[in-house]
Amino acid sequence: MTGLLEISGLTKRFGGLVAVNDVSFDVRPGEILGLIGPNGSGKSTVMKLIMGIERPNAGKVRLNGVNLAGRPTYEIARAGIGIVFQHSRPLHRQTVLQNILLGLLPDRLTAMRAGADAIAHATAIAGRVGLGHVLQCLPATLPFADLRRMELAKAIARNPLVVLIDEPFAGLTSGEVKDFSDLIVSFRDEGRAVLLVDHNVKSVAAMVDRVIALYLGEIIAQGHAADVMADETVRRVYLGGGITTHERPVAIFANTQPILAVKDLSVFYGKAQALEKVDLTLHPGEFVSVVGLNGAGKTTLFNAISGFVAYDGAIHWQGRARTGQSAAAIARAGLVHCPETRELFGDMSVAENIALGGQFLPGPERLERQAWLFELFPILKARLQQSARTLSGGEQQMLAIARALMMNPQLLILDEPTLGLAPVILGQLSDALKYLREQTNITILLGEQNVTFALPHADRVYVLEHGRMIWEGTPTRFAGEMAENFLQA
Amino acid sequence: MKNQRIIVAIVLLALAAAPWIGISDYIIGVLTMICFYGVFAMSWDLLFGYAGEVNFGPSFLIGLGAYGAGLADADLGLPLPLCVALGTLAAVLGGLLLAIPALRLRGPYFGLITLVAVLLLQDAIVIFAGTTGGEIGLSVPDILSVNATVNFYYALGLLVIAGTVLLTVANSSFGLILQAAGQDAIEAQALGFNVVKYKIAAFVLSAFFSGLAGAMLVFYLGTASVDAMVDIAVGIQVIIAAVLGGRRTIIGPVLGAAFLIGAGEILRPLGQVSGVVVAAVALGTILIFPNGFLGLLRGRHSA
Amino acid sequence: MLILQILIDGFAISALYALGALGFTLIFGVSGVLNLAHGAVLVTSAMVAWYVGTNEAAGALAGAASGIVAGVITSFVTYAVVVRPIQRSKAIPEVERELFVLTGTLLWGVMLQIGLGYIFTTTPVTVHQLVSGTVNILGVRTPTNEILIAVISWLTLGLLWLLVNRTPAGKRLLAASINPRGLTLMGVELDQVHLLAWGIYGVIAGIAGVLLGSFLGTSSAYIPALTGTAFSIVVLGGLGSVTGTVIAAYVVGYIETLTAYLISPSLRAVPALILLVLVLYFRPQGILGRR
Repeated sequence: MTGLLEISGLTKRFGGLVAVNDVSFDVRPGEILGLIGPNGSGKSTVMKLIMGIERPNAGKVRLNGVNLAGRPTYEIARAGIGIVFQHSRPLHRQTVLQNILLGLLPDRLTAMRAGADAIAHATAIAGRVGLGHVLQCLPATLPFADLRRMELAKAIARNPLVVLIDEPFAGLTSGEVKDFSDLIVSFRDEGRAVLLVDHNVKSVAAMVDRVIALYLGEIIAQGHAADVMADETVRRVYLGGGITTHERPVAIFANTQPILAVKDLSVFYGKAQALEKVDLTLHPGEFVSVVGLNGAGKTTLFNAISGFVAYDGAIHWQGRARTGQSAAAIARAGLVHCPETRELFGDMSVAENIALGGQFLPGPERLERQAWLFELFPILKARLQQSARTLSGGEQQMLAIARALMMNPQLLILDEPTLGLAPVILGQLSDALKYLREQTNITILLGEQNVTFALPHADRVYVLEHGRMIWEGTPTRFAGEMAENFLQA
Repeated sequence: MKNQRIIVAIVLLALAAAPWIGISDYIIGVLTMICFYGVFAMSWDLLFGYAGEVNFGPSFLIGLGAYGAGLADADLGLPLPLCVALGTLAAVLGGLLLAIPALRLRGPYFGLITLVAVLLLQDAIVIFAGTTGGEIGLSVPDILSVNATVNFYYALGLLVIAGTVLLTVANSSFGLILQAAGQDAIEAQALGFNVVKYKIAAFVLSAFFSGLAGAMLVFYLGTASVDAMVDIAVGIQVIIAAVLGGRRTIIGPVLGAAFLIGAGEILRPLGQVSGVVVAAVALGTILIFPNGFLGLLRGRHSA
Repeated sequence: MLILQILIDGFAISALYALGALGFTLIFGVSGVLNLAHGAVLVTSAMVAWYVGTNEAAGALAGAASGIVAGVITSFVTYAVVVRPIQRSKAIPEVERELFVLTGTLLWGVMLQIGLGYIFTTTPVTVHQLVSGTVNILGVRTPTNEILIAVISWLTLGLLWLLVNRTPAGKRLLAASINPRGLTLMGVELDQVHLLAWGIYGVIAGIAGVLLGSFLGTSSAYIPALTGTAFSIVVLGGLGSVTGTVIAAYVVGYIETLTAYLISPSLRAVPALILLVLVLYFRPQGILGRR
């Protein structure tokens, strides 16, 4: 059987960055295809290219043999492709029914009233996704999972041939995951082609017919879920060559006063609970990794610790309860955050970026520290006058870390430093972390989905899943109990 | 919702009865101006509140309607209804000319270009002073009526018709799509809607009523002038009326217009200070109650 | 001779325009605010300078100084009373902040406009010149004041450039305009940066207002047009771009001067507006991007 949706030679460049490079694949009717890859691998871009939200630089997107590449999004939608976005904004002042009805309306200016049959149809769809009992409610009153159901309903309202779903299970409880899986499987059973985009094989393995793994914009493996999970390249991307551990004895740290103690930390984004009663303790000089998939809540946890999001619960910094400091004051107190988005000053030079990091240090100390950093990251010295924007991804990450180190941190939070970086850079970053752990007394909190990167330097590991800490222990125990689990379960 | 309709009906009936309960022609005149500004403000609200586009140049559309009608009357001597029709047409065509390229622009640029359109229209009127009367204004030979009550009924009729049409549209399927387009254009497109098409249609509808009201205003005042119809200050009044009354409600902007015009008249004895007071009250309302008068009324209602 | 005259007049007026528009672009760059009370800040400074300089027998210099102080005060009040409450309001949705800031500053501008007319005068007045007399430049009799205006404008521009590019505080301003979150991560309180930006804005707007008032005269009625001109220049140059603003100020200044001399003074503003429309249609990001 040939593909219903045929992608060939799809390429997208953003400036110098090739986000998607010559990607080709088919999706057949009655098939669920999983498109997986770590953050920054280009999977979301592929979806946007299919939907016409981004224009491809090259390549074709054929639906039933008709090339849709370069056509406007609304025509592609009309041609028979529906999409469920990861983040969606419902119409707030309209009921659930009206929101779903929207997906059934014709693209005509003269459409004044939806007919009785359209309302019946919308009601039926709502019932099918499990929203039958809240038809007349406003979206703001719904729990998170119901909002996602509403998005599913909107996407299938027009009876599309192909359904694209971005991160279908992000933020859902395991019970809800089951419901959503059943729904998605039922789309397939009606003969639709379904393309699931997810960051990991694990979450979609049970339901997909085939999997394609993307890395740095290219397909690195495809086939049955089990084969892709067993694939050497995929394992290297997710697990690296193999796990090594070098933890120091817990006893070294056990008797010290914690530098940071987080207790019962909860964070809500509107209705959605991003973190649920999370506990975390760090001792001075310790290196702790928080491992979790995309959407598990790592970034939210770090943002709460560094004062960027409001939270419930208690955070003790150096033995004292923290109350109401600004994020900037927290940073000045030595709790320095280096986020996954890096937040460099793109139009400023490397030197200016570093200077802004060291602005609160007295002159001589600043120069001394700068010299030390150039030893750690020699490439930055060579790039001193170049603007940060023009650096490669790896160099930008090094600059972000260097800038954070200029702040003279007592605790350094590193969020996903490996994001979208080539393996050779990971080696250099790993060496830098090793050096920081062994040669300085800076406490480090590292968040990673890349387990191989997170483990070698860690003294302790936490595992975060769906906003909860589900495991804590030494890296060696992790390698035995969790590692395989992490990729497959 | 039902209560609201009853309230609106009572207010309209009271307004219709107003000329018969011994109110002076002066107050009827104020009420007439409120009706005209109400139409301007609700037309603007369709564009902002529903389509999510900030039009800083409502007076571009009003001015095109006013001068289109005025010139048709003063220079061509056409019958009054035809002049009004031509003025409205001018506003719609001008609106299209502005909207089709401008709606492609993102962010603040749509607002900027609408602002520039006003400045250009203003300059054009001054440059072609021979035809347009320039800064002095353009007197028209025809007039709606010499009777204040009749004029008021014309304006009230316009307000009711415009309000009914705009509310119907806002609450229709078209309005639903328009809101989706205004809130998240990408998602609206992914649901299969040609977003630009709907926004242009909304702009045309807004231009239609702004132009129609502008054209009729000329024959109420007896003159078309930059100060009364084109000046940025006129546009500012319209925007403030809409935000003050409660954006995204169509009805709210009429309340805002009533406040702006009414308070301006009541405070007139204060002289120049009245303007400061009105602006200060408007500013305070926006700061403290961003949902405006209507939001305030509704909020108290539900609480 | 006419060419030389246009060159000289255009140079002075353009320098002033650059200064007048620069504050506008600074505030936009650092705090994302399009301050539609900008013209009102300029005229407030000019009016105070005129009032003190002429009526109180305090002299032109004291007048100018009071004008600048008035500019700083007005700037801070604009920030504290209008902009900050809107930015901090929980009742205003994030996506609508921009409109509320625009509407709020617009209303504040209207209040200032009417208030100035009430307190001082509604008829146009001219701020007392700092120096009198004329200088002959290659046969063109040029008022000394005009030369002084160009010199002060460029001095201020130069000082501003030094401040932004050569001092730590300036670097923070720049950094805030590029990535405010990044600056918070570096331990800098954005509130302080904003206060500094509004302070600098007040000084530049004050100087520009006083000089404009002594060159072209001032009146509360000029406020909308001044805001409009600053707005046009800034958009033409690219929102948030300093170099772009200066270039655009010269383009607009010279086009206006040419139009005034060669066609008609009453058409002064038209060609620049048409240019602005063309730029908005074909290159909405302005002549230069950021910085």
